[in-house]
Amino acid sequence: MLVPQLINGLTQGSLYALIAIGFVIIFGTMNLVTFAHGEVYMAGAFVGAFAMSLWHLPWFVALVMGMAAAWVLGFLIEKVAFRPLRTAGHMPPLLITIGLSIILKDLAVVLFGAENRPVPSIYEQTVRLAGVQVSVLQLVILGLAGTLFLVLRLVIQGTKIGRAMRATAQDHEAASAMGVNVNRVFSIAFALASCLGGAAGVMIGIYYNAVYPTMGGTAGLKGFAACIFGGLTSIPGAILGGIIIGVVENLTVQFLASGYRDVVAFLVMVIVLVLRPQGLLGRKLKTV
Amino acid sequence: MKTKMVPMLLTLFTLLLVAAPVAWSAEPIHIAVSAPLTGNFAEYGQNWQKAISMAVEWINAAGGIKGRPLEIVYGDSKSDPKDSAALAQKFTSDNRIVAEIGDFSSTASMAAQPIYDRAGMVQLSPTTSHPKWAPGSPWSFGIVGTQAGEGPFMARYAIERLGKKRIAVLHINNDWGIASKEYFVNAATEMGAQVLGVESYFETEKDFTGVLTKLRGLKPELIYVPSFYNEMALISKQREKLGWTDVVVMGPGSLYSPKLLELGGNSVNGLYTSAVFFPNDPRPEVQKFVKGFEAKYKATPNMFAGVAYDAINLMAETIRKVGTDRKAIRDELVKTKNFPGVTGKIAFTERRDVVKDYRHLVVKDGQFTLFDK
Repeated sequence: MLVPQLINGLTQGSLYALIAIGFVIIFGTMNLVTFAHGEVYMAGAFVGAFAMSLWHLPWFVALVMGMAAAWVLGFLIEKVAFRPLRTAGHMPPLLITIGLSIILKDLAVVLFGAENRPVPSIYEQTVRLAGVQVSVLQLVILGLAGTLFLVLRLVIQGTKIGRAMRATAQDHEAASAMGVNVNRVFSIAFALASCLGGAAGVMIGIYYNAVYPTMGGTAGLKGFAACIFGGLTSIPGAILGGIIIGVVENLTVQFLASGYRDVVAFLVMVIVLVLRPQGLLGRKLKTV
Repeated sequence: MKTKMVPMLLTLFTLLLVAAPVAWSAEPIHIAVSAPLTGNFAEYGQNWQKAISMAVEWINAAGGIKGRPLEIVYGDSKSDPKDSAALAQKFTSDNRIVAEIGDFSSTASMAAQPIYDRAGMVQLSPTTSHPKWAPGSPWSFGIVGTQAGEGPFMARYAIERLGKKRIAVLHINNDWGIASKEYFVNAATEMGAQVLGVESYFETEKDFTGVLTKLRGLKPELIYVPSFYNEMALISKQREKLGWTDVVVMGPGSLYSPKLLELGGNSVNGLYTSAVFFPNDPRPEVQKFVKGFEAKYKATPNMFAGVAYDAINLMAETIRKVGTDRKAIRDELVKTKNFPGVTGKIAFTERRDVVKDYRHLVVKDGQFTLFDK
């Protein structure tokens, strides 16, 4: 049962990683933390769930819609909570995102109800790979997460906006002096981060067959943990952090009991951070 | 006086239309109902109210109790222990009231228990299932059954009816889930089954892939899952996705809800469960109740309506036998051995609760059906 548990952990971990990357992009470029990221993920999940269960759209259309909705929501949050307070320091935007997180969550309760909303199943079959039965859906999710990691890397390393993001991450003022429109970079970075969160939301909804208004809470926390674990500003670090948390959780279920999954996962994180405060792949210099 | 005249006149009027005219020459008999008519549990209280009003209508249409009409005094407890205790004071000091039905939750019933006990009035709860409730006072009665009865019933279902001997358990980690698991595991072990593993999950859990993978490694023939419909739907779907199909899934009556079918879809087909009340039960008393309820309220009655209907009918039957003395009602109620309720036969144990007859159910083609093999 070890290999299936590793696959369970890898699938779950890759979704944590998508959320964690969002925190990395936002922290890397803007040097700020958002607490509304979990709710953006929830919103994406709901849009995806509605697309599939009410409008009967194929899952990839639902995924694109969830990502688009999260993009728009992220764009708006940046405009409302961050843009006007650029010079106000760290605390006011942080508090605003806490407020936004509560507003979005309660709004979802009022609009959609507090209960689980079912999400239709896709890819219910399994395949045998080297003698191990593997769920097709898990392979699809792993493939999608991997694709998104690659696309993100190409965007950041190979495009003009990616270069602008990296420049802004190193020094806002210098980048601005070199003609980079910093406001636009912040907007796009925030929206891009939210979009990845939305993708994770839609995939989690499909994977566990349920979306619910409070789903952003633990997911946001795990994503944030994975981001710090990985080194706060390192995308490969966030991916590694997310996957380690996912795998440790599932191995804990296998060898201890399901109640201990978060205990052990966070214990491992605490130990690593005590020994290596900059995180797994963190550097002193803040870059994306 | 005026407010009481209106329902009386209405009742008279309907009776004139329906049957031979009955003129109430005698005073009505009053029974109190303490129920959550508003608040979080309002839906349950309203189900009670519907079932009880219908039963009272039928009793009075058939001539009442020895010529006296039955009248219900409702009190809204919100199933809050403060309110249920205050209502108990009010009801017990009202000399017209002969007995009380309620409350909904164990907590609310047990808060009012000492007051009914001191005053010497029967407190018959349709839904209180705490094993310590009925033994707490000689005036307390419970008719919904307790985990101590359901656990062994489910174990017999798994082992004797389905012939499964290798069993694993996955339960929700709260008071109810733990009690549920213990009664089942003890009974199953006594019956010679092998309990291979017991796993639990917290109420907020959504990811069951890890724990299912672990249980699968133990190769059980049956997994027993004391849980509620929300988690059961997720567990079933995730189990199916992992390709674990060579196992039988069973859970207690908490799963018996249309919501399970809606959320679980195809994945809950073949799931075994139980119910104390099953609307498609062919027994005539059940069909009379279900047809009457559907005609009156345009909805199928649920278990909560069923137990309330049984409570009022049992009370009316007892009063018919011994009259309206509070003590006499209690002494007669204790002797109840064979009352044909819609939620099964009611026979009080010496603890004044009941061992329910559960129905064996299985989900077939997306519907709950009676298992009759």
